[in-house]
Amino acid sequence: MHALIIAWHTLLAFFPPDLSPSYLRYVWLPVTQTVGMASAGMVVALCLGIPLAIYVGTRAPGWQGIVGMLSALRAIPDLTLAILAVVVVGLGPAAGMAALAVFYTAMVGKVFAELFLAAPQAPLESLRATGAPRLAVALFGLIPLTLADLLTFGSYSFECAMRASVIVGAVGGGGIGTELVGAVNGLDYPRATTLIVILALLVTSVDTLGWFMRKHPRIALVLFPMGVATMLLNPPQVFVLRHALATFAGMFPPLLSTKALAALPALLWETLEIAVGGTALALLLAIPLALGAARNVVHTAITAVVRRVLDVSRAVPEIVWGLILVVMAGIGPLAGALALGIHSAGVLGKLFAEAFENVDTAPVRALEATGAGRLPIVAFGIFPLAIGPIAVHTMFRLEWNVRAATVVGMIGAGGIGEALYNAQQHMHYQQMMAYIAATWLLVILADVAGERVRRRLGWNYVAT
Amino acid sequence: MPLPIISRRRLLHGSSAMLVGSMLPAAVRAAGTAIRVGMIPDAGATQISVDEKRPLQEYLASKIGHDVDLVIPTNYNATVEALGNGSLDFAYLGGLTYVQAHARYGVIPLVQRAGDQRFHSLFITQGDSAIHALTDLRGKSFAFGDTNSTSGHLMPYYYMQESGIDPERDLKYRFTGNHPATAKAVGAGIVDAGAIDESVFHAMVDAKQIDGSKVRVFYTTPPFVDYVWVARKELDTKQRQSLAQAFLALKDPRDKTVLDILRGKEFLRADDAEYDTLRGVARKLGML
Repeated sequence: MHALIIAWHTLLAFFPPDLSPSYLRYVWLPVTQTVGMASAGMVVALCLGIPLAIYVGTRAPGWQGIVGMLSALRAIPDLTLAILAVVVVGLGPAAGMAALAVFYTAMVGKVFAELFLAAPQAPLESLRATGAPRLAVALFGLIPLTLADLLTFGSYSFECAMRASVIVGAVGGGGIGTELVGAVNGLDYPRATTLIVILALLVTSVDTLGWFMRKHPRIALVLFPMGVATMLLNPPQVFVLRHALATFAGMFPPLLSTKALAALPALLWETLEIAVGGTALALLLAIPLALGAARNVVHTAITAVVRRVLDVSRAVPEIVWGLILVVMAGIGPLAGALALGIHSAGVLGKLFAEAFENVDTAPVRALEATGAGRLPIVAFGIFPLAIGPIAVHTMFRLEWNVRAATVVGMIGAGGIGEALYNAQQHMHYQQMMAYIAATWLLVILADVAGERVRRRLGWNYVAT
Repeated sequence: MPLPIISRRRLLHGSSAMLVGSMLPAAVRAAGTAIRVGMIPDAGATQISVDEKRPLQEYLASKIGHDVDLVIPTNYNATVEALGNGSLDFAYLGGLTYVQAHARYGVIPLVQRAGDQRFHSLFITQGDSAIHALTDLRGKSFAFGDTNSTSGHLMPYYYMQESGIDPERDLKYRFTGNHPATAKAVGAGIVDAGAIDESVFHAMVDAKQIDGSKVRVFYTTPPFVDYVWVARKELDTKQRQSLAQAFLALKDPRDKTVLDILRGKEFLRADDAEYDTLRGVARKLGML
C-alpha cells in the first residue's frame, strides 16, 4: 500500500508539464536533432539498404550470404549499437545517427529483400527473357511489383526510427533522448513530461506523413535534404580512426569471468521473463482496449477516445515508459515488464481492433438474426472469428519484446541488458562484448523459434 | 518481424512536411572551434543544467580568451570516453572516473577544490527511521548514485564492507544515477537509506530542496580524495596552465556566482599521487 502511495505521488510530480516559452526554446535544438537523426538514419538506410535488397532480390551470386549478414546485424538491439557508437564516434548526434544508420540499413535491407524475393516471379521471368540486365529487372520489375509494400514498410520504419532516435539519445547520442534521461535523472519530471508530449506529437505526425507518403511517394524525397543537412551540421565532433579502431579492438575477445559466466543463464532467464511477462500483460490490456476501439463493437464516440489512448501508449517507446516506471515502481524486472506491456498494449490494441473490424460479417449477422444481445455477439461471434490474427500478432510481439527486454534492462530493469550496461559503464568492454554476443544469440533464437512455431501452425502471414 | 502500423487518416498532412522543413535553420550549430569542457552529470544532465552553469562557462571563456562549450554527458562513462576520443578537452571528473580515465587515456589532473582532498560521503535516512549505524542497514533497501560515482558508490560500498556489511547479500540496493536523486529517493521513502556526496547534500539542505528535519545523516565516512578537473593528454602545457589558472584565480566573495556553481570556496593544484589509496580501493572492488 505504502509503495502504491509513493508511486501515485511520483506520478503526480510529472504534472503539469513545463510549457514555459523559455523551456520550449531550449528544447528546440534537441527536437531538431532528433528529427534530423531519424531522417539521416533513414537516408543512409535507404541508400545502402535498397541496393543490398535489390542484389538479394535479383538472386545475384552470394545473395544468401547478404541475407545472413543483414539478419545477424538486425539482431543487435539499437541501444547496444548506440552504446558502441558513443564509445567509438564520441558524444552527440553523430553517434546517434551512426547507430540508427546501421540498425535501419539492416532492417530496410532485410525486409525489402524479403519483399523482393516474395514478388511474383512470372513478370520477372518475362523481363529476363527479353535479355534485360539485372538492374533493369529490378527497376522495371521488382520495384513496381512491390511498391505498395515498400512504401508501407518504409514509412513505418521512419516512424520507428523517430522512436529509436530517443533510445539512442538515452546513452549520449543527442536529441530528445539525452534531454529526457537527463530530466528524469535530475528529477525534473514536469520537463520530462514536456519531452514525452513532444515525442508523442512527433511520432504521430510521422505516422500521418507516412500515410500521406503512401499516396504521394514523392513526399519521401523530403527526407533527403533533411537527412543530409543533419549529417553535415552534426559531424562527429572528433573522429580519430586509430582511436576508434583501438577502442573497438580492445573489446575483443569477449570474455566473462567464471563467476559472471555462472550468472549468465539467470540473467538470460530474467530477460525472457520480462519479455513474456510484458507480452502477457499487453495481451490482457489489448483485448478489452481493442474491443473498445473496434467500430463494429462499440459506438464511435467511445472508439475515438480509446484509439487516442492506444496512440499515446504506442507513440512512447518502451524505454521511455521504462524510465518513468523505474521511478514509480522501483528498479527491477517488474518495471521492465510493465514498460513492455504498456507500449505493446498500444501496438496490439490497434492491430486487434483492426482484426475485430475485419471479421467475416456473415456469421455475425447470423448471430444477430437469432436476437442475440451485444455481449453474446462479441463473445461468440466477433471474438472467436478474430482469434487467428490475434495469435499471430501476439507471437510477433513476443519476438519483438525479447529484443526490447534487453533494451529496457539497460535502464535498470534487470536481466542481461542491465548486466551489459553495467559492464559498459565500468569499461569492462570485453565483458560487455560477451553480453552483447549472448543478447544477440538470444534474439536470433527467439526469431528462429517464432518462425518455426508459425510454420508448424501454418500461419503464413506476410511478415511486413 | 515488426508489423506496420497503418496510419490514422486525419490531421494536416501537408503541414507536417512544412514543420519539418522549417526546423533546418535551427539545427545550425556554432563552428567547432570552441574549447570543449565536460562535467560528469553528478546533478543530472539537461539543457537546463548546462544553462544554470552559464556563468561558469562565461568566466572560463573570459579567462582563457577562447570560446568555451560546456557539455554534460548523460553518464560518467561517456565523460571518460569523450576525453579518450577527443570530444572533450577538459573535464570535471569524480575520483573514480579520474583513476579510470588516467589508466585508460592518461588524462592529466589540474586543480580541485580544497574540500576534494578530504571529501566525505554521507549515509542518510528518514528522520524517524530506526537506522542509526551502518550495521542497522541489514535487510534494508538502499540507494547509490551513479555506479561510477566515488562518493555515491565506491567509497560508501567500501566502508560498508569494512564494517561487516556485504551490500550484495545484506542490502537491496539500486542506482539512482546522481546525488540529488538519491536525496529525493530517501526523502520520499522510496528507499530506507542512501549514500550521497556531502557537498551536494549540504547545498540541497541550504537551498531547501530537501527538508533537513526529514532526512538525517547517520554516518559520515572517513575522508578520501574525490573530484578533480583534468585535461586530455594531447593538450600542451600552455593550454593546461591557462585553464588551471582560471580556477586558481577564483576568489570568494568576488566570484561567488561561479564558486556556488562549483560548490566550493577555493581551488588548489591536484596531482596523481593523491589518488593511490582510492586506486587501491577501486582495484579491490573490481572497478578499475
